[in-house]
Amino acid sequence: MAYSDKVLDHYQNPRNVGSLDKNDPNVGTGVVGAPECGDVMKLQIRVDDSGKIVEAKFKTYGCGSAIASSSLATEWLKGTSVDAAAQIKNTQIVEELSLPPVKIHCSVLAEDAIKAAIEDWRTKKSALSGKSALSGIAAEAKS
Amino acid sequence: MFGLTRSLDIDAQALEKRYLALSRECHPDLLRTQEVGDCAAVLQRSAEVNDAFSILRDPWRRARALLETASPGVLDRNKKLDPTFLADALELAEEVAFAKQEHVQPLQRRLAACVDADWAALRTAIEHGDLDAAARRFHASHYHKKALSDLELKA
Repeated sequence: MAYSDKVLDHYQNPRNVGSLDKNDPNVGTGVVGAPECGDVMKLQIRVDDSGKIVEAKFKTYGCGSAIASSSLATEWLKGTSVDAAAQIKNTQIVEELSLPPVKIHCSVLAEDAIKAAIEDWRTKKSALSGKSALSGIAAEAKS
Repeated sequence: MFGLTRSLDIDAQALEKRYLALSRECHPDLLRTQEVGDCAAVLQRSAEVNDAFSILRDPWRRARALLETASPGVLDRNKKLDPTFLADALELAEEVAFAKQEHVQPLQRRLAACVDADWAALRTAIEHGDLDAAARRFHASHYHKKALSDLELKA
């Protein structure tokens, strides 16, 4: 089985490799894995106040297709809104990278990682707004 | 088939004894005079015995078979591992990838200890009847074993 040129390109020159501070409230982190093949994918997004993804980073331990899928995902994520990012489907990744059927699970992993990162960011956001709501009640009770 | 109690730990000697006895019963060479129709059945049987033996003698393959027999699909249902664990696994993989020669041995020992710990936890989970936890630990061990085999390539 031969890798497509696009997979090779992402594999040899992966985009946006690295990490963001996972404790930053504006950063969402998704870590997912495929136990059968021992692949792990970490994908992180930094979201601004308007809900736009301003930065995306990844680290992947796995085959060329897994690396390419996550590298491509970070390219697509940057500059898009969180809501649009949530709509990204693994089939789009398959199409763009011409992944063969045996490598489709790599694109599924990338989609899962995107969803997990968004979920993490949303959880952080709602926890924060929950806190400020609580402090509001306390302030009212005091006055 | 082997007439042994179904459990995670088995008596390796008893297993081998049963395997040899079963092999004699269905060894194609010893049954050459039989009818042609029987021949296929004997071959089939001997292949089954060999498969079963190779699974049973390997602790991890035995564990997989035990889990799947006790609760079919349990491994598939528990594929999602804790993100914190996965993040650690990613760090381990990175450490392996960039390990300098002098760090290979200590890292090897650490990873081997991780695999041992996985096995112990798997056993405890099975003892407590928590097959889901056992399945997750089975999957987790994969990452440690993969890191270990990657490291062996460097050693």
